[in-house]
Amino acid sequence: MKKFIFNLKKYYKYSLYSAKAELKSEVANSYLNWLWWILDPFFFMLIYTFISQIVFKDNEPYFPIFVFIGLSGWNFFSKMVSCCIKLISDNENIVTKTYIPKYILLLSKSFTLVFKSFISFALVIILMIFFKVPFTLNLLWFPLIFLILYIFTFGICTILMHLGIYIEDLFNVVDILLKFTFYMSGVFYSLQKNVPEPFNKYLLEYNPVAFLISEFRNIMMYNQMPNFLLLLFWLLFGILLCFIGIRMINKYENSYARVI
Amino acid sequence: MQKAITVKNVHIKYREIKQISIRDIFLRRKEKMYEEYEAIKGVSFDLEKGKILGIVGKNGSGKTTLLKALAGIFSPNEGVIDLHKNTVSLLSIGIGFQPKLTGYENIYLSGMLLGFSEEEIKSKEKEIIDFCELGDFIYKPVRTYSSGMYSKLAFSITAILETDIILIDEVLSVGDTNFRKKSYNKMKELITDSNRTVVIVSHDMNILRDLCDEIIWLHDGKIKMRGNTLEVLSNYEKFMK
Repeated sequence: MKKFIFNLKKYYKYSLYSAKAELKSEVANSYLNWLWWILDPFFFMLIYTFISQIVFKDNEPYFPIFVFIGLSGWNFFSKMVSCCIKLISDNENIVTKTYIPKYILLLSKSFTLVFKSFISFALVIILMIFFKVPFTLNLLWFPLIFLILYIFTFGICTILMHLGIYIEDLFNVVDILLKFTFYMSGVFYSLQKNVPEPFNKYLLEYNPVAFLISEFRNIMMYNQMPNFLLLLFWLLFGILLCFIGIRMINKYENSYARVI
Repeated sequence: MQKAITVKNVHIKYREIKQISIRDIFLRRKEKMYEEYEAIKGVSFDLEKGKILGIVGKNGSGKTTLLKALAGIFSPNEGVIDLHKNTVSLLSIGIGFQPKLTGYENIYLSGMLLGFSEEEIKSKEKEIIDFCELGDFIYKPVRTYSSGMYSKLAFSITAILETDIILIDEVLSVGDTNFRKKSYNKMKELITDSNRTVVIVSHDMNILRDLCDEIIWLHDGKIKMRGNTLEVLSNYEKFMK
């Protein structure tokens, strides 16, 4: 753990810089590329709004906002998870030529995704103004919930990144699991209302993604205090995952360069 | 004399790729999970500060593996490598370049990856830009560079952001005739600095003769001979014929 903090201090500037570099190179070719950071979640919101409002005749109030919050949280989680598996082999050029603590690569990737999800949440705020959803003080809990989502996701990703080097078809499995989690997390429907009695509670409490997304909605749309006890639980669980993952990486990262 | 590198009884094994797949776990195929290949079989030497060491050997004798272990890219399976707190870099071309960004931004990206702070790079920035002779191209995306320009920039970054120990794998000169001369001279200047310890892997006997204080001859992962440059090289050349 000491080593982790030392390396974090040493390399966090690099990871910030390389995250910036990655974002920049995404927009370098055309000046309108950054528009996709906005258009992408926006159109998905339209699609889900169409499906659930018109096809399934669900009548959730402020549905576009409801979906947009779900998508913003979900996209961060799923993009982190799906890209972390191949992260080491994608950066082969770096890994085989110089020493770098491997979680720094993950850190740098996470910065780009955090940036994109902040854009996405900023759009939520704009939509809230547009639909005249009242702003409340509970909105101030946002950084806390996002932090917990971040730590939890980072923890899972360190472990998957390590396993991804040794298990070649891990990506296929994780892809299926991600799809499953997507439908189980109530990104575009309300778990509370649509899933029969005992199960909706289980899903909301024991599926961290569903839980955190619904907490985002509670503080942003429904003026409710977050459930601190459960938040604390998932925070500790996330820290535990990070701890395990970072230890595994510390222990085995020297052999990565010889495997890929 | 102060020692800069101590290598003690180092063994390095490669695990042949052999990734497992989840399908295999279910089908319970009981194969050996990995095949091992030992590239370095017990090498020990030490090197004094400021010396220049050449490593020769035929292809596959473990030269590059040893160099990578010295650079800390992977650690040995057995044995110890002690660099006595010196900073080290493997001189390689264009680490971590982002082709869509400008050369200028890539100087920072690559430099920070090599472990330098932003301020250190800033102080050397002008020197790097002057040395690589790219002119205004430094502010253009790297993907628009010709391969010669690319290697000029990459060389300038690694040559000017210098570390206590430099490891060189066969890249001594790049670019057109003019730049080749210049980079060779710069290389020589770097290498012969009395505070700098250098390990060179090369097949070019003339360069080795010109630069090295001593030579290690690796053969099948072991040291076959070590000593005076001229003596080892003449034996090696005889052996290769």
